[in-house]
Amino acid sequence: MTIAALLAAGSMLSILLGSSLALAQQPAQQPAQPHPMTFFITSTEIGKGGDLGGVAGADAQCQRLATAAGAGNHTWHAYLSTQPRDGQGAINARDRIGQGPWYNFKGDMIAKGLADLHGDTIELARLGNNVTKLSALTEKGEIVPGLNDNPDPKDRTWAYASTHPNSNRHEMLTGSTTDGRAYTDVSVDRTCNNWTSSAEGSGQIRGNVTGAAAEVGLSDRNGGGNGSWNSAHPTGGCSQEALTRSHGVGLFYCFAVN
Amino acid sequence: MTRTPWIVAACALPMLLASSFAHAQAPGPQPFPMSFFVTSVGIGKGGDLGGLAGADAHCQRLAAAVGGGNKIWHAYLSTQARPGQPAINARDRIGQGPWHNSKKLPIAADLAELNGDTIELARLGSNLFKQSALNENGELINGAGDTPNMHDMLTGSQTDGRAYADSADHTCNNWTSSGAGSAQVGHSDRIGAGNTSWNSAHPTRGCSQEALVSTGGAGLFYCFAGN
Repeated sequence: MTIAALLAAGSMLSILLGSSLALAQQPAQQPAQPHPMTFFITSTEIGKGGDLGGVAGADAQCQRLATAAGAGNHTWHAYLSTQPRDGQGAINARDRIGQGPWYNFKGDMIAKGLADLHGDTIELARLGNNVTKLSALTEKGEIVPGLNDNPDPKDRTWAYASTHPNSNRHEMLTGSTTDGRAYTDVSVDRTCNNWTSSAEGSGQIRGNVTGAAAEVGLSDRNGGGNGSWNSAHPTGGCSQEALTRSHGVGLFYCFAVN
Repeated sequence: MTRTPWIVAACALPMLLASSFAHAQAPGPQPFPMSFFVTSVGIGKGGDLGGLAGADAHCQRLAAAVGGGNKIWHAYLSTQARPGQPAINARDRIGQGPWHNSKKLPIAADLAELNGDTIELARLGSNLFKQSALNENGELINGAGDTPNMHDMLTGSQTDGRAYADSADHTCNNWTSSGAGSAQVGHSDRIGAGNTSWNSAHPTRGCSQEALVSTGGAGLFYCFAGN
């Protein structure tokens, strides 16, 4: 189905979610007006692969995009971990995003807290959070194209992806394990050298990847051999071209801390 | 470790291709590749599937129509305990895996991956999502945003694939009611109800066909071959 059709059907989702939630016997004391946006996917990439200018550069991108969308009154952080380097300790993505609840552009809840977002109990993990193709929207309320959207043999090249905004770009940089924490093995790179590297890498995206790489999750929960939103597999490198080869362009999740 | 099934599947692809090629040269019996599908159509009487036996027969009939009749197919459905009848868990009815869809893509390597038996497996999830949860004809199932939405899959199960133990109805009276009661459903596209569960997202409003349709269902369910 086309993105346009998905967007058109987007409003239906709220209704569906609403009725399903009612069935799940959720409390009915929700306020009538939509919740302000406290979660989004960056609508545009920084463009230098895994070099985001460090976590500070990524946070600034979140803040800039949020401000342009009228949500600059919150403090925004990128959902990114960093690994221990040069005497500096690791930083866990989950420790950077406040306590929730978080809502998307349309006011739909993404998760009510850190435990729901990450599946901190096995029941929560099996249920999963509400990061889905139809709810993981950009700060402009757009759906991020995912698996099998407008497929083209060339859609794994940056030359194509940069000129075809409807091609699959579902890989979100996180640098994180499934529980939202940093990789502690200093011998592997899962953060494009703490978001400063645009090196080529090995090209390998499965198994015990060595070389420049970033762990990514899938915003549409489709592909990668699993449905993980934050830790599906490593990229094959950190250049813009390398990210595109596995259907990413260097987008990431932004959360309002307050 | 958790990625092993995918890697195994990836490694298996050339072997599959190679074996197909070999058979092209020397025709002979070849294992039917599909061991998982979503029913392309429901039975049409809401939550009354004619019991587990009726649902299994539906799986078998649909599979046979596409050449998979030599396998034993079971519906992924639980039933609740009744006087003289113990509960049956959906996960205990479908063999050990691995399971593949009609396009030979892996759905899950085993029961642990399918049902998320460890917290890491549960967080990762299996390979069952909208683009892989195909019907026996290899077609996508309408999901949230499609018209009509048909993503509610009858399961009668908890998130771990087991039957409910309480006294409430979660199985349309063990798949015999098309009126009163309710059934637990999962989402084949893993969208809706504020979670991404494939097998235990929310209860239905009732057991009539209309009640199933009203929340985005059509009385469809998952079928697995255990052999």
